[in-house]
Amino acid sequence: MKIDRKERGWLTRARVTRVLINLFLGFHILAITCWCVPLNLPFFPLCRKLVRPYFLWAGLFQSWDMFAPSPWASNSYVEAVVIYKDGSRKTWSFPRMEQLSLTQRYFKERYRKLSEVIQIDENDSLWPDVARHIARLNSTPSQPVKTIILIRWWSPIVPRADGSYQPEPWDRHVLLGYGVRPEDLQ
Amino acid sequence: MTVTTTLKSLPAAWNTFFFAEQSPLPIALFRMAYGLLVIATLLLLRPDWLAWYGTHAWISLPTMQLVEPGRRLNLFAVIPQTDGWINALFWVFLGSAVLLTVGLLTRINSVIVFLCLTSIHQRNLFILHGGDTFLRLAGFFLIFAPAGAALSLDRLFRIWRGNEDALFELRPESPWAQRMIQIQLAILYFAAFCSKVKSPLWLQGTALYYVYHLDAFKRFPVPAWFLRPTILKLASWSALVIEFSLGVLIWVRGLRYIVLALGLLLHLWLEYSLNIPLFQWDVLSAYILFVDPADISRAWNWIGSRNSSSPPAAPPKVDPELRVPPPTVDTDSSPS
Repeated sequence: MKIDRKERGWLTRARVTRVLINLFLGFHILAITCWCVPLNLPFFPLCRKLVRPYFLWAGLFQSWDMFAPSPWASNSYVEAVVIYKDGSRKTWSFPRMEQLSLTQRYFKERYRKLSEVIQIDENDSLWPDVARHIARLNSTPSQPVKTIILIRWWSPIVPRADGSYQPEPWDRHVLLGYGVRPEDLQ
Repeated sequence: MTVTTTLKSLPAAWNTFFFAEQSPLPIALFRMAYGLLVIATLLLLRPDWLAWYGTHAWISLPTMQLVEPGRRLNLFAVIPQTDGWINALFWVFLGSAVLLTVGLLTRINSVIVFLCLTSIHQRNLFILHGGDTFLRLAGFFLIFAPAGAALSLDRLFRIWRGNEDALFELRPESPWAQRMIQIQLAILYFAAFCSKVKSPLWLQGTALYYVYHLDAFKRFPVPAWFLRPTILKLASWSALVIEFSLGVLIWVRGLRYIVLALGLLLHLWLEYSLNIPLFQWDVLSAYILFVDPADISRAWNWIGSRNSSSPPAAPPKVDPELRVPPPTVDTDSSPS
């Protein structure tokens, strides 16, 4: 059976497409595996380094470490002491899931996540932004905020042999004291 | 069987796995579930949309770019930084997610949804959970899938124009993009398993004690017997076994439905007991892709036989050079 030029062109294009798809598949399977499977294989670090720019650009970065390697061993939350220019003060807290209704928890869960993230010291570069936002939330033209103090409260979870749970006393740690500038409130 | 024989059979197995044409129903069902989950995510974000992504957001765009440097697909870095534009992005995203769900201009909308989703993730990486990440990754591969080949307005228009067969006769499609979403899901579980076994808390079986005493995660009351040390130990180890199974054993055809059922039970329990909105459903949506197309087709044909009197369509034309013929016996999604 003769294959005319048009058909041959179509077959060539289809073959090239198949080869490209196979390269795409092979690359992505290998790259995703190397990126997120936490195995200490010699090839993995190099692979991660090579694919990093592409993964960051395309949004393929990923990590699957929820409650891993270990879950948080303490209850915690972040609150802010808001000090106004006139010397008065009040306490503002991130929405705490345990104090919200079921529906509210659906809408406000992202606040739990942000609050969790800013408790980690490595994320200290986020603290000024968070302080500024809290200042804007609590400021009015007649009563501007002067200082924000971010505080982390925590209470360790201590396992007992009989499986019972007794809440431990709360401790606190100041994350940041931030002097609010007029431009922060605009 | 020698190593050489095994190696020789690999390309054929690869081709069958990725390219043996099958019903597009699983990917179409996934598209609908995916679209609904994106819509739900957006609606839950709506009250705080500008608080997370606006000009005066919790984390500013410059801080985000400083903390997470590098070139990234991020529409927020391109559009003017005004609340009007940022709100417009929300509505475009939502509209596109609706169109993707109903399957109108499916390919274009899958691209728009992925672009918008990855943009809001890149704009604020600090409020995401694993379900969001999975939606983003699945959305990437969904772009390449024949997601509008069934259960879509696109298909209805094609039938109306006479470009496709009757309503209940689906044209088989190459499933390579669907396979990538399946592989992504399996890697998710395997990576989670590997992360957990590094910790003595999971190996000793005490990890869940901490999880179930984290106040911020509590949803509905957990029965007291579940919090006994022995039960928590069993539950911790069961979670490891199920995650390993969903990462590895899911590819064994004979075990697949058992593994999926265990995964479903695990996620339903987590949905009941822990407050991580949408996470469980984001992940569970991809289970559809592991259901044997033959089983879905059987249900589809049953519906078809009740609604149509048209004769069965001719078998699909298969190019002998380039397309692997549809398997005659096994339409399963793995070569195992």
